[in-house]
Amino acid sequence: MNGQTVTKPAKQIILDGLWYDNAIFRQILGICSTLAVTNNVLNTLVMCISLSLVTALSGMTVSALRNWTPRSVRMMVQTLIIAFFVIIVDILLRAYWPEMSRNLGPYVGLIITNCIVMGRCEAFAGTNRPWPSFLDGLFSGLGYSVVLLAIAAFRELLGMGTILGFAMPYFSTHWDKWIIMVMPPGGFFVLAMVLWLCRSVEIKRKS
Amino acid sequence: MPTAGNFSSEIWLAVVTCFAAVFTQNILLSYFLGMCSFVSVSKEVKTAAGLGLAVVVVITATSILNWMAYWWVLVPLGLEFYRFILFIIIIAAFVQLLEMVIDRYSPALYLALGIFLPLITVNCAVLGSVLWMVIRNYSFVVSVGFGLGSGLGWMMAIVAMAGIRQRLDESKIPAGLRGPGITLIIAGIMALAFIGFTGVLQ
Amino acid sequence: MKQSRYFAVVYMFVLTAVLSSMLIGLERLTRRQVKTNEQIAFERAVLAVFPQIEIKSAAEIHPVFTRDFVLSDSGAYEYRPSGQLAGYVLPFEGPGFWAPIKGVVGIGMDQKTMTGIRFYEQAETPGLGARIVEPFFYEQFAEKSLTEGSRPVRIRPPSEAGGNDISAITGATQTCVRLEKLLNEAVVQWRVKLQEQGK
Repeated sequence: MNGQTVTKPAKQIILDGLWYDNAIFRQILGICSTLAVTNNVLNTLVMCISLSLVTALSGMTVSALRNWTPRSVRMMVQTLIIAFFVIIVDILLRAYWPEMSRNLGPYVGLIITNCIVMGRCEAFAGTNRPWPSFLDGLFSGLGYSVVLLAIAAFRELLGMGTILGFAMPYFSTHWDKWIIMVMPPGGFFVLAMVLWLCRSVEIKRKS
Repeated sequence: MPTAGNFSSEIWLAVVTCFAAVFTQNILLSYFLGMCSFVSVSKEVKTAAGLGLAVVVVITATSILNWMAYWWVLVPLGLEFYRFILFIIIIAAFVQLLEMVIDRYSPALYLALGIFLPLITVNCAVLGSVLWMVIRNYSFVVSVGFGLGSGLGWMMAIVAMAGIRQRLDESKIPAGLRGPGITLIIAGIMALAFIGFTGVLQ
Repeated sequence: MKQSRYFAVVYMFVLTAVLSSMLIGLERLTRRQVKTNEQIAFERAVLAVFPQIEIKSAAEIHPVFTRDFVLSDSGAYEYRPSGQLAGYVLPFEGPGFWAPIKGVVGIGMDQKTMTGIRFYEQAETPGLGARIVEPFFYEQFAEKSLTEGSRPVRIRPPSEAGGNDISAITGATQTCVRLEKLLNEAVVQWRVKLQEQGK
């Protein structure tokens, strides 16, 4: 395993991350840590950026260390590296954006147990060079972010009539706000709809 | 350290917190924690109950351990930011230890629970409830109640879901919605039903 | 890879030590910033509960706070512009629906009339409970009076709210119930302390 590198063109890595292996509607992975904050686009955006960066940077680090890491402690090393980057994000948020840090509550820390991060480190970074690992992590994270941001936009618009806190025409004035969208059940319903849509498209494409 | 009131009021608070964690603030249905295994392991009631039980044991025990580690070690040293690493190490170590102990002393229990234990380290419900406990400054007794309640709430949700999904096996569901899609819709309806409990506790 | 077992242990040890020391370094660098953020958020809230205080820039907050406010034994801050007592600021905190809510309430010289309220720390549901930080909600507290008894402030559903009541936020019942509880507890405690001191 050590030293072997599987070459995969950058374009393929990007497409896989965004669609073909999309973590959410392909594998239903890693929704826990972010779904809870999708009732607000800004919170989701910050979570998604953090997650993408953590995935990319831990992928890169795991990959850079792959030739020295003994196999027996592989998982521990990965967890340690992921936790390292998550703590950096947490410290920076607390120091420079305290309100956001409070809004996200425990969810920043939960990036550690997000299956996507660990999954990319294990499946890709362990056998690839640092730069492709970085790309792979970044675009897996972005594929995930696109889906969650769509969910968040939908929930915030229908539930509060705003997007990123800005009042939207029609929705902020004439729309009878669907409070349920801001509450937890809304998250489940919208995610289910997104899954349904993406999977139906995929089934069509295959047949 | 979170200040504790007198013992009986603490116990009462712990009971209330436990109840709240099961019903009004269910860790899965209102905080979306532990979704991955919730979606993938809720196909059969028996398996779901096994995993649920393992989660109850692990959350309760790690709440105690992590509470001590946080308030007795990290806070005095001023290393609160280090909690993520410490919590995950404690959870992983505890799960490993539990697996070994069960394997050694109760093969029957090992068959029932053992296979789920490795899944639990990465179950966000465990880390999530520990982080909530710290953020909310729960005292020791209340933390135990909260941990137990979180576990029980998660178990209840996954067992109920498995029961419903077994019944769905023969239903006609649109192809794109099969599996995770319908599971999430049902979870949404369950979450809706659980909102009905809000206000039970004042 | 003969000594792989020792190597693994040493490797883990070295890696943990390196990463941890980097984290500790970063935390030490930002620690003062975190402390300042918290302090400024609190002081900003305190100044905001008195409508007569005008703050032109963020740099003024700390000097004005240290000049005009004195922490008294009753747990509240006394507002003493130019040395003369002009009101009280009572801090309160307690569990909200999700995470702790912290805030301050300004009380006039009569120890009864609220001059204003601000929340400087909360993480309630966006769009519902989190709206306690919006003017439409907190501005209701100004000029309302604290009644005698164990429930000086009443937050009630908009349809039932009377002249001296605060209208709750629709859909955020839990936040409002908890807020009322922790606010009232703070006020009651403050009154007891005032009485003890015979003020």
